Amino acid sequence: MKTIVKMIAAGVVAGSALSAATVVAQDYPTQPVTIVVPFSAGGPTDTVTRLVAAAMSEDLGQQVVVQNVGGAGGTLGAGQVAAAANDGYTLLLHHIGMSTAPALYASLPYDPMTDFAPIGLVTEVPMTMVARKDFEPATLEDLIAYVKENGENVTYANAGIGAASQLCGLLFQDALETKLTEVPYQGTGPAMTDLLGGQIDMMCDQTTNTTSQIQAGEIKAYAVTTPERIAVLPDVPTMAEGGVENFNLSIWHGLYAPAGTDQAIIDRLTQSLQAALADETVGNSFAELGTYPVPASEATPDALAEKLEGQTALWAEVIAAAGVAAQ
Amino acid sequence: MDLFASLGLGFSVALDPINILYCFIGVLLGTLVGVLPGIGPTATIAMLLPITFSLNPETALIMLAGIYYGAQYGGSTTAILINLPGESSAAVTAIDGYQMARKGRAGPALAAAALGSFFAGSVATFLLAAFAPPLARAALNFGAPEYFSLIVLGLLVSIALAHGSIIKALGMIVLGLLLGMVGQDIYTGTPRFTFGLRELFGGLNFVAVAVGVFGVAEILRNLENEHEREVGVKAVKNLWLTRDDLKRIIMPVLRGTGIGSLLGVLPGGGHILSAFASYSAEKRLSKHPEEFGKGAIEGVAGPESANNAAAQTSFIPLMTLGIPAHPVMALMIGAFILQGITPGPNVINEQPALFWGIIASMWIGNLLLVVLNLPLVGLWVKMLSIPYRVLFPAIVLFACIGTFSINQNIYDIYAIAFFGIVGYLLIRFGCEPAPLLLGFVLGPLLEEHLRRAMIISRGDPSIFVTRPISATLLVLALAAVLVAVLPSIRKKRAEVFVEED
Amino acid sequence: MALKASRNDLASGAIFIAFGAYFALEALRYDFGTPFRMGPGFMPVVLGGILIALGIAVAAKGLGKPDEEAAPPWPLRGIVLVLGTILFFAATIRGLGFIPVVLIAAFATALSSSRNTWLSALIISAGLCVLCLLIFVVGLGMIVPLIGPWLRF
Repeated sequence: MKTIVKMIAAGVVAGSALSAATVVAQDYPTQPVTIVVPFSAGGPTDTVTRLVAAAMSEDLGQQVVVQNVGGAGGTLGAGQVAAAANDGYTLLLHHIGMSTAPALYASLPYDPMTDFAPIGLVTEVPMTMVARKDFEPATLEDLIAYVKENGENVTYANAGIGAASQLCGLLFQDALETKLTEVPYQGTGPAMTDLLGGQIDMMCDQTTNTTSQIQAGEIKAYAVTTPERIAVLPDVPTMAEGGVENFNLSIWHGLYAPAGTDQAIIDRLTQSLQAALADETVGNSFAELGTYPVPASEATPDALAEKLEGQTALWAEVIAAAGVAAQ
Repeated sequence: MDLFASLGLGFSVALDPINILYCFIGVLLGTLVGVLPGIGPTATIAMLLPITFSLNPETALIMLAGIYYGAQYGGSTTAILINLPGESSAAVTAIDGYQMARKGRAGPALAAAALGSFFAGSVATFLLAAFAPPLARAALNFGAPEYFSLIVLGLLVSIALAHGSIIKALGMIVLGLLLGMVGQDIYTGTPRFTFGLRELFGGLNFVAVAVGVFGVAEILRNLENEHEREVGVKAVKNLWLTRDDLKRIIMPVLRGTGIGSLLGVLPGGGHILSAFASYSAEKRLSKHPEEFGKGAIEGVAGPESANNAAAQTSFIPLMTLGIPAHPVMALMIGAFILQGITPGPNVINEQPALFWGIIASMWIGNLLLVVLNLPLVGLWVKMLSIPYRVLFPAIVLFACIGTFSINQNIYDIYAIAFFGIVGYLLIRFGCEPAPLLLGFVLGPLLEEHLRRAMIISRGDPSIFVTRPISATLLVLALAAVLVAVLPSIRKKRAEVFVEED
Repeated sequence: MALKASRNDLASGAIFIAFGAYFALEALRYDFGTPFRMGPGFMPVVLGGILIALGIAVAAKGLGKPDEEAAPPWPLRGIVLVLGTILFFAATIRGLGFIPVVLIAAFATALSSSRNTWLSALIISAGLCVLCLLIFVVGLGMIVPLIGPWLRF
């Protein structure tokens, strides 16, 4: 019930809040901090955020509240933070979608590069190329040969336009220079259902969702999408091992403040983020999710800015080439 | 491990005093929040989720499950008392439940819902314990073509929802299907009917539509004749079921339990159909179908049982396969993960105490729910003695705040006003709102499964009749139409002759 | 009454036709697709057409069959105040903040009933404001400014 009491405090303080100008950066934070997650509660991004938020509140000595503002592929929540007061009390935790939105949405009311002040990278969740368990190919090499031969006869599930599972499929088809029949789903949950039931052939999804199914032998895993093998799935090769070069995809998550936030506040938040990522509970929980916190050297504004820039350029190209657009 | 040893393990976890306490707190909080107008089970769980973070996994998940069925039950209470369903199944309960309340029979309606839910929940929990893995496997045979056929069957059967004109009911269903298509098309990303507003990309909010066409429309109806009589719900005659009531609800509860248990297992939308299917079945089988829509207690007991049974069995795909059957289950997955447990096929073997503990706690939770709610019936019914002129501003405000708190999306509130006036006009002109809501929730599923089936079959529509389950469902749908149409054709002929006299 | 038809049937038919036409016409601008890959326009065009047909059927059925009951009076005051309040709530919740919006909205809605006086509406609005604060802000931890940015100096 303690949380409820704290929430009361949060509401009262937020209500009678002083204006941004009078906030003294050294004292920051003097009131609860809100992290907006642009997706609904319970999803993987929400889970990551809640774990980090809990550890950050310990470090900051103030409650860090998670607020879900879902809709329009994460652009509604991001837009809300872009327009929020830059006093360090409204932050955004967003994933790879931050870099794909400019290519997918023609009229975006904010600019991911200029309307936000990056705080640091949080985690990079690897993805896995998986298939129904009675799918013919046995290894990654077999899969590549099979897909090249059968092309559009192979069905590939994705979680809709702009979802990481779709991006992974685009990269894969690009690399193999072939075309699969893409079958969109409303999220990866229903897609996994159909994969388990053998209704479709393949999918690419983050380890969060696939690890337990792979370990139980319910689905086949062919490759991980990171440059190196990952600890929870030591037997699954990388794409490069199967001869697919330059295939590097992970669902990276970053923490942002609105542009123009005081540098001292950003520094304090970066420090707090690094402390949270070094926390043992966070590390263990991330491991359960099949991922890991980024090292402190990457949980910095520079590393996040660089990531965002590189990824935005990459996806602009891939998405334009595939002719995909949400609007 | 055999069933009894497993259940023994489960009850040893669930009967731990701490776990019972949190189960009770969960059920209580779920009921109280779920009862607020404009807040359905999904929103309730999303709001209360953080409370469970500090608990250990078994306790946290037991409490969450408690919140879930508490919220579900609370939602039905609002539907019965003030005609405001918080989710699709409660829309069915509202049809006859609210009519019963208007006749001063809110007590029996609530009691029938509580008893039906308890019975259905107990049976479904037993099914979950005994047959979860094979049932989940069987459900995986349902692919896109099967779901499409199932939804077609559901839509055709549910014409029985209407107690007035059948064409108007069809019109309302189709209008609902169309409204369900507002938002971004998942196949191409094309925004449809959004007026360029990105706030509408995710589609219209169910709660906003339900609050509009049921709640606000009802308030406007009540304000029509204000000068002539005191409006709203009549004073309450008795709280408890009469012997006759009990006799009337036994079979509907049994049938509802069966229908709900089966449909709940299907992860692609089966649970949505459960309450509607049960209502249709009861109306068809009833000796006095003309009472339906005017306060038939069967129309409350059956759907409530079906809904609660489906709520329990929809845990089957989650707990045995790690796949969510609906948004609430997706939230549960998040809760599992936050507790350091990845839901999947291994949970049953690696965490037997957790798996069986949750199942056992569901039974205990249902018991607590009925123990908690039967006395509460009196309290809820008392709230009806609040004068309507005080009650309806409260309903309007609660609905606005509740809807806003879910996504902080102000367009959801504009939608309440829009659907309030549209709903009011349609109801005034003799259309009924329940079929519209059914269409609204099924529209996206119907389109999604149709298009997916066509992609998988590479454009060959024969996939719907060559797959045995799908073909069977379509034959049933055809039979349902014939059964409905034949008698009325015969009657028409008779009428024609009469008119010629 | 000169009109020898059911006003209810004509009106609901007209609403169906209007909605059906809107959805179908708007959907014609979307890709119709092929049977293999149906486009976003396919279902709305088909369903919109069906709705228009049903609307015509409903209206046709009402011809020659006037309503038996007289239409109830229009609750104009209710429509304006209740719907107006909801629109007001949506437009100002972010700017004015929770307390002022709830106070004003409750007051206006209460007044839509002719059984409420100015005084009873005031009491209802103050009571509801406290109740909503307790339930949503205190109890459920809803994140919303109590006094919005428009009212801060």
